[in-house]
Amino acid sequence: MLNLSGISKSFIGVQALSGVNLDVRAGEIHALVGENGAGKSTTIKIVAGVYKPDAGEMEFEGKPVQWARPADAKNAGIHVIYQEFVLFPHLSVAENIYLGHERRNRFGFVDHARTRQDASDLLRRLGVDIDPQILVSELTVADQQMVEISKALVHKVKLLILDEPTAVISGREADLLFARLAALKAEGVAILYVSHRLEEIFQIADRVTVFKDGAHVATKDIGDVTRDRLISMMVGRDLKDIFPPKKPKGEPGKVVLKAENISVEGRVRNAGIEVRAGEITALAGLVGAGRTELAMGIFGGLPMSSGSVWIDGEKVDAITPATTISKGVGFVTEDRKGQGLAMFLDVAANISAANLSAVTRNGLIDRRLENEIARKEIDNYRVVCRGPATSVATMSGGNQQKVIVARWARTSRKVLILDEPTRGVDVGAKTEIYRIMRGLAGEGIAILMISSELPEVVGMSDRVVVMREGAISGELTGANISEEAIMSLATQHPTGKVPPAEVLAQ
Amino acid sequence: MVDVSQASGAEGPAISMKSRLSSYALPIFLIALIAISGIVSPAFLSTSNISNMLLQVAPLGIVVIGQAFVIILRGLDLSVSSVMATAAVIATGFSGQNSDVLSILLVAVGIGIATGLVNGWLVTKRSVSPFLATLATMIVLQGFRFAYTQGAPSGNVPPLFRQIGSATWHGVPYNMMLLVVLAVVFGVVLAKSRFGREVYITGGNPTTARLLGINADRVTIIGYVISGALAAIAGLVLSGYVGIVDNWVGRGFELDSIVAAVMGGISLSGGQGGILGGLFGAAILVVVFNAVLLFGLPVQLQIIIKGMVIVLAAAFYVRRRI
Amino acid sequence: MTALAPIRLSSRLRANQGVLVVAALLVILLIFGAFISDRFRTTSNILNIFEQSTGLALVSLGQTLAILTGGIDLSVGSMISLLSTLTSGLIAGKASMVLPVAIGILLLGLLIGICNGLLIIWLRVHPLIVTLGMSAVLQGIVLLYSLGPAGSVPPGFNFLAYGKVLGLPIGAVFILVLFLLVALFLRYARLGRYIYAVGDDEVGARLMGLPRARVMLTVYGFSGFCCGLAAIYLTSRFSVGQPYTGLNYTLASITPVVVGGTLLSGGKGGVFGTLLGVYLISLLNNVLNFMDVSTHYQLIAQGLIVIAAVSVYVEKKKRV
Repeated sequence: MLNLSGISKSFIGVQALSGVNLDVRAGEIHALVGENGAGKSTTIKIVAGVYKPDAGEMEFEGKPVQWARPADAKNAGIHVIYQEFVLFPHLSVAENIYLGHERRNRFGFVDHARTRQDASDLLRRLGVDIDPQILVSELTVADQQMVEISKALVHKVKLLILDEPTAVISGREADLLFARLAALKAEGVAILYVSHRLEEIFQIADRVTVFKDGAHVATKDIGDVTRDRLISMMVGRDLKDIFPPKKPKGEPGKVVLKAENISVEGRVRNAGIEVRAGEITALAGLVGAGRTELAMGIFGGLPMSSGSVWIDGEKVDAITPATTISKGVGFVTEDRKGQGLAMFLDVAANISAANLSAVTRNGLIDRRLENEIARKEIDNYRVVCRGPATSVATMSGGNQQKVIVARWARTSRKVLILDEPTRGVDVGAKTEIYRIMRGLAGEGIAILMISSELPEVVGMSDRVVVMREGAISGELTGANISEEAIMSLATQHPTGKVPPAEVLAQ
Repeated sequence: MVDVSQASGAEGPAISMKSRLSSYALPIFLIALIAISGIVSPAFLSTSNISNMLLQVAPLGIVVIGQAFVIILRGLDLSVSSVMATAAVIATGFSGQNSDVLSILLVAVGIGIATGLVNGWLVTKRSVSPFLATLATMIVLQGFRFAYTQGAPSGNVPPLFRQIGSATWHGVPYNMMLLVVLAVVFGVVLAKSRFGREVYITGGNPTTARLLGINADRVTIIGYVISGALAAIAGLVLSGYVGIVDNWVGRGFELDSIVAAVMGGISLSGGQGGILGGLFGAAILVVVFNAVLLFGLPVQLQIIIKGMVIVLAAAFYVRRRI
Repeated sequence: MTALAPIRLSSRLRANQGVLVVAALLVILLIFGAFISDRFRTTSNILNIFEQSTGLALVSLGQTLAILTGGIDLSVGSMISLLSTLTSGLIAGKASMVLPVAIGILLLGLLIGICNGLLIIWLRVHPLIVTLGMSAVLQGIVLLYSLGPAGSVPPGFNFLAYGKVLGLPIGAVFILVLFLLVALFLRYARLGRYIYAVGDDEVGARLMGLPRARVMLTVYGFSGFCCGLAAIYLTSRFSVGQPYTGLNYTLASITPVVVGGTLLSGGKGGVFGTLLGVYLISLLNNVLNFMDVSTHYQLIAQGLIVIAAVSVYVEKKKRV
């Protein structure tokens, strides 16, 4: 059905894909796995016509194709369910489902009654109870995902691509999805399935392709590989070489950051957390469980409806980034470009950005001092760049991340919060960032890490706090930290029947 | 992320080699423009014409300085023309003697600052789009001005303003000296000061700025206040240049100042560019307008050229977002 | 939308509470006006308000669609100036020229609007910049054509502005019909739905393969067409077109749109709110007239209304 050969793609100095191959057959579920930054999303976007490949051939239904725009791929019968949904918040559920395939009456006008009716039937057949008349923006994330899935069912699809569909759903909804996929497969639809959860890949996939660092590693029948083999192909080395040794057992560190009764409207309910000096505490849970919002609330970046925060036993009165930063807290955001870096400024300016006072003399920036600091940190964190005046926009994700960590490590002498610290970072830089984190903890800083990658959580943390649907659902320490234990707290199925528990995030 | 290098001059920290190179593009273009105009029409390079052009650059340049702050902060200020006209009306609203110069200055700049505060408040605290916010204050101020003058301003501009606005010292206009002083002061503020750094960070991405503990709202409001205050000063300078004041002094300056800034490499998507670039843009605009007249072309062509320049310059620095 | 579930109804009311506020303001102003002056209450005055609002309603209609896509059309003022000057200039008093010129003007408006749309698509520059530039170009062109009022129209031409059918002003009836048609288009035509989708999430619309180019050409073309209609109407009303006829319409056309609850960021709103906004502003000006408030202060009032409206409708500010 789909055949990619030798596809390459680069973005401003970063090679995202180098000559990858992929073939997906009609009537199969083909899993695509790899770490973050392995090139899965880029591949999907090339198949969907969002990006044009720099080199390589793409064949669809046996004919070479080149998409000029997403509409071309869509008209050819390719449907993509993106990880970040394509839903229109001001339109109703029914309208979203049929957008582009409007139900029309015999005069060619949109038939809203029929749209509602059909949407209602469709959702019922899928097994979910969603009112097709309400606006999509009023749905929960899981329901939005089900609407996304139902969009794929309204028209004849030849190739269905799903990017991490189970990142925000689990249990019953995931089972509904798998049943639907099995039916589509029986109808001869080709399915490309991207997921972190290896367990479900073994459950539903026929073949699996592994990408690593933008290159194709292997394509195997699912029966020919084991879970461990798959992991080592994805990572390219043993897990124990990646993570630095944990804090030796002994007295737990002093509580540096304490938060109680934190609520963020619609996202976090009465959550409390303690982060200790010298330890790495992970905040785990499904996407949408409210982890980022909890941490942001504590940092002052999101307005809270209730909650108190203590730093070093001292209550913080007005919780804003300015006050928490001045008390020694730092926040490495998940979205580097949108929230972390000042993209138009250089390395030196980015490093000093959280503490401009340190480089200000009489109201003016002391550029020489700023450069000096930058040079020191560049050496310190082994940032690959041409010097303090390098524009951060031209640097790789890993080096950008190091710049941000360097920035916060200078000011955050008490608490450092890192949200998905290794997202979009290659394996080499990942290892270095882990070492840096462990090093900072060793200096007595309390580290709070938000991560969706379970091996990372298990490999790095001394303590894990798990969230589920906006509330804290449990805490694990020491030897109790395992992927299974975390998943069961994150999904918490009352029957004890373990759902797709073994989630291996890349 | 596309190529982030931009034409730049005095601005801040992030000047890579490449953008240093491209910062020569504007002066080269300006010199080429002057040379061609001089060849086509020798009168263009006459002392009187050059001094005339210099006189015209100053009011626009002063507005562009303020506009630069606002545009780097991801905004734009349409109210500058209304502030200018109001300042000019104020200039004639007193006795017309030099003794009132200080009062005029205080009232005019006060109005500029107040307008800037309202603009900044609407944009930050009420999330109104900068375009609409400044358009609305422009109209409101215009209404106040009309009501104040009852449609026809009268009175005289104090001689000191006439002097600054239209006289020269050994061929160098006084208003040009004023422009240079303001450009240096605000250039240093933008490129070297802590506040300037906060402007670039906020303009590049307000969310990033907030998470860095920068009071992005306050920085933005100050940006609009600077723009309002400088527009008031430009209005006074212009009143001294034209001598006779009507309700529409400064009309078109809102568009011209934006065109100059965009031509000078100050991106409408924020976070990039500097004052020197904007001033080159202003100079280019004045030269083009002057050449249109001198070549005997209809004055309406100025407006048409302006329209095309604004679109083409924006397309050149292609950035989608306001 | 007949059989609405109760929940749905309440959430719709919540979403449209802005429109309710505008409607309530209309009623209050009417009552207020009735107290202020006996003449206000007369049928002829009420019809007068409808009559006066025609030009604004036409321009705002096109503007609404542009704003629904998340864009804006700043060229409407100059376009009206150009088209109305051309209308009287080309008719030049000859009755035989009326029909061909009117058709030509409408086509020219459509064409200029389509140019706006094409530039927006090709140059990938924000509509604000494109139409601002277009505005300057058109203003220059109309001043090249004429520096003052141009040509004239035959005596019967003012029928469009002042004529009545069944005792109602032609313009007002035309407006109601046109708004209804556009409302139906927005709700029941696929392209109408895509206008909302593009305004709601432009990147998403691209990923979904929706015809963004067609949407842009339609809305800017239609806005140009509306300017053509407004130009003909205004020429009929003032008997001649001149190069500054449309000057104030650029901001004026945006006011009723935002007052009527259409989000400047696009994706939400509609023409019904705009019509209420138009009537509110016309009514306000009328009442202020009866109160002997000078036009200067009317200008202030209008600016303040824009500020108030955009402040009220602002969506919850997203922090982080």
